Amino acid sequence: MIESVPQNISVAFAPHIRKALSTQRIMLDVVVGLVPAVIVAGLCFRLHGLLLVGVSVLACMATEATCNLLRRRPSSLGDLSAIVTGLILALSLPPALPLWTAAIGAVFAIAIGKMVFGGLGANIFNPAMVGRAFLTASFGILMTTWTVPARIDPTMPAIAPTNNIMDIRTQATPLAWSKMAIKDENGARIYNERHPWWPNLLGEEAGSLGETGTLALLLGGLYLVIRRIINIHIPLAVLVSAFVFAGIAYLISPDKYVPPLYHLSSGALLLGAFFIATDPVTAPLTVRGQWIFGVLIGGFTMLVRIAGEYPEGFMYAVLLANSVRPLIDMFIQPVPVGGVPHG
Amino acid sequence: MSILTNDNASFAGGVHPPEGKHLTGERAIQPGPSAKELAILLSQHIGAPAQPIVKKAEAVQAGQKIGECQAFIGAPVHAPAAGKVKDIALQSHPVLGRSAAVIIETQSDTPPTPPSFVRPQGFDPAAYTPEQICQAVREAGIVGMGGAGFPTSVKIQPDAKTPKETLIVNGCECEPYITCDYRVMLEWTDQVITGVQLAQQACGASKVFIAIEDNKPRAIERMKASLTSLGLAAGIKVVTVKTKYPQGGERQLIRAVLQKIVPTGGIPPAIGVVVSNVATVAALADAVINGRPLTHRVVTVAGEGIARPGNYYVPIGTPVQALIDHCGGLGKDSARVVLGGPMMGLAVADLSTPITKTGGAVTVLTARQIGRKARQTACIRCGHCLRACPEHLSPTKIAHAVKSNRMDLAVQYHVTACTECGCCTYVCPANVDLTGYIKTGKIYLARQKKKMPA
Repeated sequence: MIESVPQNISVAFAPHIRKALSTQRIMLDVVVGLVPAVIVAGLCFRLHGLLLVGVSVLACMATEATCNLLRRRPSSLGDLSAIVTGLILALSLPPALPLWTAAIGAVFAIAIGKMVFGGLGANIFNPAMVGRAFLTASFGILMTTWTVPARIDPTMPAIAPTNNIMDIRTQATPLAWSKMAIKDENGARIYNERHPWWPNLLGEEAGSLGETGTLALLLGGLYLVIRRIINIHIPLAVLVSAFVFAGIAYLISPDKYVPPLYHLSSGALLLGAFFIATDPVTAPLTVRGQWIFGVLIGGFTMLVRIAGEYPEGFMYAVLLANSVRPLIDMFIQPVPVGGVPHG
Repeated sequence: MSILTNDNASFAGGVHPPEGKHLTGERAIQPGPSAKELAILLSQHIGAPAQPIVKKAEAVQAGQKIGECQAFIGAPVHAPAAGKVKDIALQSHPVLGRSAAVIIETQSDTPPTPPSFVRPQGFDPAAYTPEQICQAVREAGIVGMGGAGFPTSVKIQPDAKTPKETLIVNGCECEPYITCDYRVMLEWTDQVITGVQLAQQACGASKVFIAIEDNKPRAIERMKASLTSLGLAAGIKVVTVKTKYPQGGERQLIRAVLQKIVPTGGIPPAIGVVVSNVATVAALADAVINGRPLTHRVVTVAGEGIARPGNYYVPIGTPVQALIDHCGGLGKDSARVVLGGPMMGLAVADLSTPITKTGGAVTVLTARQIGRKARQTACIRCGHCLRACPEHLSPTKIAHAVKSNRMDLAVQYHVTACTECGCCTYVCPANVDLTGYIKTGKIYLARQKKKMPA
């Protein structure tokens, strides 16, 4: 007989207290970290840029809600991960992409990239990159039409969903220039004389919505590192390895290849290093594993940029590294402090 | 590297939970409640349980041995107060569920007051042989009072194969809320120091450290001052360690103080180190010098769910209910009663559960504190648990292996190396009860090995 069991007293395993840290808080911090990049996207590509972000985010949330309904599961919108996917997808899109195309990408990203695996935490590939890969495969021309940023072309506000894409003034991205330079021997030097790498920092170059504001990406990335939402290992591994590979190419032929800093500050490298490769669900758990993962991404990106047909390869690099992530986690395990016991 | 430069030593990993020590830290040790009935559990230590040596209706004296243990790893139990054996029956046990206890009906109403300990004039530990000390400790039923309950006589006895070179006296008290060791260090300083000397004499250690976290500057100061005035400061060093949970875990403490690592699955004596809690060495001094068995201990009653928190001198066997009543009863929003601290303590539902030799605290938590994150969500592999784990394990991997009933994987991820400190669960943003799964996994393993019933 147990006589003294008061009401309202519960039992559970220790520990009985929890740190005030939730998945929602982590995702909210990632959203906050992306805000500077969204602001720069708005400054560079005006209303249409912001509309793309909005449509992508809303489509992601709607898709997740629908999938939850179909699976008869409680709503998972509260974890805010759909918003993060929507933001990252939008920031990786060309600025003049029609809104409906972005919506298709968002639906695919969430439905096929995440929910079919079982939702947050179960997906193998970065959902935003799955969505973007689908768009690249399906709408090749739309996905490689790079609009001139408003800072360079003041007529940018004219971009609207109703415009014919052919009317928009476009420009080759810095990476497209560098690719042309590789194919045309001395091109890099001629291009470099006119185009130093630092305008990339300020959003004065063509590129995806979120690629152009390099400084904003660094700011957001720094915020995530300071808030300990991401650790520095993956971004460092990606950027250092990309720098090294670009540096080797540059040292071999400075006339043919652009300098390494040019590579780091253009394309999706910074956005990806801080916000895409660091997606915890699709990245390795251990620090050693994270370095292997980051070097894979940096190396493969540079392989495509230097020796491939496409000017940019970050998206493929991330998807490839995502696919080997389970292997990395299987082989690279933390060693207990006291060493591995015998037997 | 000089040992003297070890101040603010620490280990890798760990967490910083809110300390909560302000509630009771500056409250002196007070007499606890005088309960009408004391239930002395026969198993309050690691090892074989004691067997009752008194019969129902028999009269017992204060300090009389009522349970004896023949096994090498074991400890006897004693009656804290004079009275009559009411029954020998099953009683709620914080760890074992239901376990045998000697229930004593006490006669006096006088509140339990700590006996004053007087350090003998010109005390010389060399007057005692190690055998004498170990025998007295064994007879007094002293076990590790920091929580694990390992019989102290076994711990401190000399070992010819691996000499015990270093003695670390653990005054870290890294668990939130608990302040009983802090009060012992402040108020029973001489007794602690006498115990340290005797423990050193028993185990033959050449180096002795008293490790205290840097959030207890008064204890550090008091300990240093007493050692200096007794002329012992050269032989016994006070080491300040960083305030971090689980700094008081012996594996972490050894790493912080000595930069030595206890092999996975091994125990500190394997590398010539003995770690003992300050309350344990204080009890040891009382046992060796005054022949007094371990029948009382200081218990911190704390937490936001209790009206009058404080540090109390309590007979072992006092029901938790009596302590809670003594402190003003449970508050309206009290939601969990924990024997021990909030990180590793054991939640009890039956408040008739008695205080044991190892239970230094009763922590009462509120609904808000335990329900901060109500629902468990999916692991997002954020890696916080790996960074918090002081043993460098992969808690999420072990927990998910156990969850999927893949004990082979759990073993491969070193489930047995877990010290169950709770850091991983504490930090988990998805509110996965990682420590709970790991503990469950260890039980599965034990059943597989011993063919224990399910």
